[in-house]
Amino acid sequence: MSTTIDGTTAHAWITEFTRTFTHAQQRLTDLDRLAGDGDFGTNIASALRRVDNILPATADATYRTVFTAASLGFLGTGGTSGPLFGMWFRHVARSGNDSATLSELTDGVASGLATVQYLGGAKVGDNTMIDALAPAADALKDAAASHLSIAEALEKAALAGRSGALSTGDLIAKRGRASYVGELARGVLDPGAVTIALFFEAGATVTGSSQLWPELGTEVTTQ
Amino acid sequence: MSTHRQFINQPDHVISEALEGLAATYPHLLALDASASLISRVHPAHEKVGLVSGGGSGHEPLHAGLVGTGMLDVAVAGAVFASPTAQQVHAGTTLADGGAGVLQIVKNYTGDVLNFQIAAELAADDGTMVESVLVDDDLASDSENDGPGRRGTAAVITVEKICGALAEQGADLPTIAAVGRNVVARSRTLALTLDGCTHPGEISPAFTLNANEVEFGVGIHGERGTGRIPFAAADALTEQLVTPLVESLGLKTGQPVIAIVNGLGGTYPLELSIIARRMHEVLRGRGITVARSLVGSYVTSLDMHGVSITLTAADDNLIAGWDAPVRTPTLTW
Repeated sequence: MSTTIDGTTAHAWITEFTRTFTHAQQRLTDLDRLAGDGDFGTNIASALRRVDNILPATADATYRTVFTAASLGFLGTGGTSGPLFGMWFRHVARSGNDSATLSELTDGVASGLATVQYLGGAKVGDNTMIDALAPAADALKDAAASHLSIAEALEKAALAGRSGALSTGDLIAKRGRASYVGELARGVLDPGAVTIALFFEAGATVTGSSQLWPELGTEVTTQ
Repeated sequence: MSTHRQFINQPDHVISEALEGLAATYPHLLALDASASLISRVHPAHEKVGLVSGGGSGHEPLHAGLVGTGMLDVAVAGAVFASPTAQQVHAGTTLADGGAGVLQIVKNYTGDVLNFQIAAELAADDGTMVESVLVDDDLASDSENDGPGRRGTAAVITVEKICGALAEQGADLPTIAAVGRNVVARSRTLALTLDGCTHPGEISPAFTLNANEVEFGVGIHGERGTGRIPFAAADALTEQLVTPLVESLGLKTGQPVIAIVNGLGGTYPLELSIIARRMHEVLRGRGITVARSLVGSYVTSLDMHGVSITLTAADDNLIAGWDAPVRTPTLTW
């Protein structure tokens, strides 16, 4: 089992994330319509198209160039979620070079989380991407401390991100677009949090986890 | 119902085509970077602090019309009423750096603040010194709550003018930023409108009013105001803008002010002069001196038939900054 994430793995991770996001896009747009202005899916999809355009070829890819491409693609996006994801990917990218160890990735995810919190002003429980990102970052930290493999660590991060994303259904938004509709957003998963879960699920899948990831958020779209 | 037709080709092209037209009109003043929607000085200044501002479009002539000697170095244009991206602002910040650092002038809106802040971090990582002045002058959005705070509106003109003058005179970045923040603290704006505005490509306005209604406390993004007041003659409506500004700024007899009577896009110059006349009367009646003023449409909200008044409590230094030479498409003296 590999102990680092190299360029090939990082490339596969972003590609798998793009694939699963594209599959979930309509569902996420529907969630955003219930609580926001419905532009989340379009914004992230356009960011992923830009990422795809500047992603290095698999043969030339390094951990850092792949996640830098992700960062630049997202920083060129309108709205507020896109640029926050862009800053997060920037920290992830800078945590490694040709490849990253689990502890480097863990540091990048944590410092990216700190930047997103500082820029966006959201805490856990505010019904934003932070509700999935913070537990995922903690899970990675625990996994790194217990010397788990990268696949095991990403699986744990994905499970933590997923349960964090599910928790947003019980919250009333205090930050972000959904904060304008208050009680109306109760029961609706935050699409940013779901997207974070999708990202770690994609990482787990490409590093060899056999965990299956049922669709998140389908249970609330009919409310 | 009347339809609001417009002189556009395609809604998606309005920003790029308008920037092209502006650059073509002022080739001796402006350069266009179409890929990032940046307007910059055709002869970039060196060895001075660079000033960059920007935000959503639909507020013309802000900001691109204020690029030139004595004001901005670079303006970054977003889509209509939407922040430019962090990448665009990063490109604009880098372009504005002539070696003495860059001052970002940012109107207080969530998207603008976020994208300028990210751009500042990216530019700082490249080795550019960056400071920001947040303009939050709109009295109508003043609130005790832990919300986004007052919106940034027409006081951005005063900030850009005075900071631009200091930069041209060779002041350093911390000094210019401090003066900019001081101008913001001394400025408040209040606006009202007789009609909603209509987005490019749409045929009806974002909201409509009855003939006996005025929307009070509007911002510059076509959103509803804080309430409705009865329609009245220009003098009475003007007073309802000026009086709260005087009170909130605590202006006393003898205080000089810089005033901006600003059309929101659909108000014609004759109307603005009638409003200016009454503003002068009301301020004179309170012993407040209008040291300098501007009357025209500078910070617009597409075609909104509204007006804002901005007052800045001035002193000799601020007035000297206001009077310093400026040469831009919109302001020249």
